[in-house]
Amino acid sequence: MIRPSAAEDPNFETVRVWDPLIRLFHWALALCVIVAWILGKYGPDVMTLHFYFGYAVLGLLAFRLLWGLVGPANVRVASFVYGPVTVLVYLRQMFRRQPTYRLGHNPIGGFFALVLLTVLMVHAVAGLFVDPEDYINVGPLAHLVSDSLNRKALYWHNTLSWYVLGLAALHVAAIAFYALWKREDLVRPMITGRKQVPKGAAPHN
Amino acid sequence: MRKAVIPALLLALPLGAFAADLEEAVDARQGYYSLLGFEMHSLVAMAKGEVEYDAEKAKGHAADMLTLTKYDAAGLFPPGTSKADMPGKTRALPAIWEDPESVQEKGAAFVAAVKDLNEVAGEGRGQLGKAVQDLGGTCKGCHDDYRAEDF
Repeated sequence: MIRPSAAEDPNFETVRVWDPLIRLFHWALALCVIVAWILGKYGPDVMTLHFYFGYAVLGLLAFRLLWGLVGPANVRVASFVYGPVTVLVYLRQMFRRQPTYRLGHNPIGGFFALVLLTVLMVHAVAGLFVDPEDYINVGPLAHLVSDSLNRKALYWHNTLSWYVLGLAALHVAAIAFYALWKREDLVRPMITGRKQVPKGAAPHN
Repeated sequence: MRKAVIPALLLALPLGAFAADLEEAVDARQGYYSLLGFEMHSLVAMAKGEVEYDAEKAKGHAADMLTLTKYDAAGLFPPGTSKADMPGKTRALPAIWEDPESVQEKGAAFVAAVKDLNEVAGEGRGQLGKAVQDLGGTCKGCHDDYRAEDF
């Protein structure tokens, strides 16, 4: 069956989902993480650029934290933390081949976003305390802690880089799952801020 | 019974001595890199401006590093002294012994960088800084592949 395009369907309406700052945050974070990650693994020995993109990631995460407290309703952390029952109920019907028309994170997406952002935060903060003993790529806060903690920071910074890679891959896979299996485009709303939903679906999330 | 114990003791003695030798090799190895790090630290402090640049002192530290490159460090890496052999004691990865040619190559890059450093150490803070960066890069080259993050 071919569904009529939502844009032409009179039963659909266009609603605002993501505010401009959260969209800018999302794409800037994606860019900075990718660039910092590649520079970290394959970049020049003098890692100045890796440091700058890492600082940008930290700044963006600080913004996200702030926006999670005082931003628009659907980006506030409290709005997308659900209880385990809600998560399980969502999980049970997640594989239905139909769009969710949600106007924010779904219960699993919200949980995932928290995990991803937290791991990224720990990863980036650990980077500040790394001392690889090459005298040129020393984290700006490395001198504040013991050698032993410098080494632990190095271990966690390296190890979590693979977790970040895995979580980012999972994130993209989930977007593909929604697009291909559930026929719900989550990318366009993150670019335009708008989403087509059945009339009456908004604002009941 | 007693007859069996004595040869066993005789066997154990040299083995114990051998293990102690390996530990000493690791201690000496770490001492060697501490010396390099000490000189490097002084040079970086000058390059960063944390300590006032002094051409004579910079040349002295660079010369000390050059002296250290003339020491044949191969003897500090006897087999049986990797992190796999001595966890908690060393961060030297077994890859060092599995891929000696690459290690040699990286070592040669380090020696070349020390030589370059010696040519410019007395030529001012800017030139020193550049040479120290290049040298630090050769430290990183080995640390990335041949040293574990933690003990």
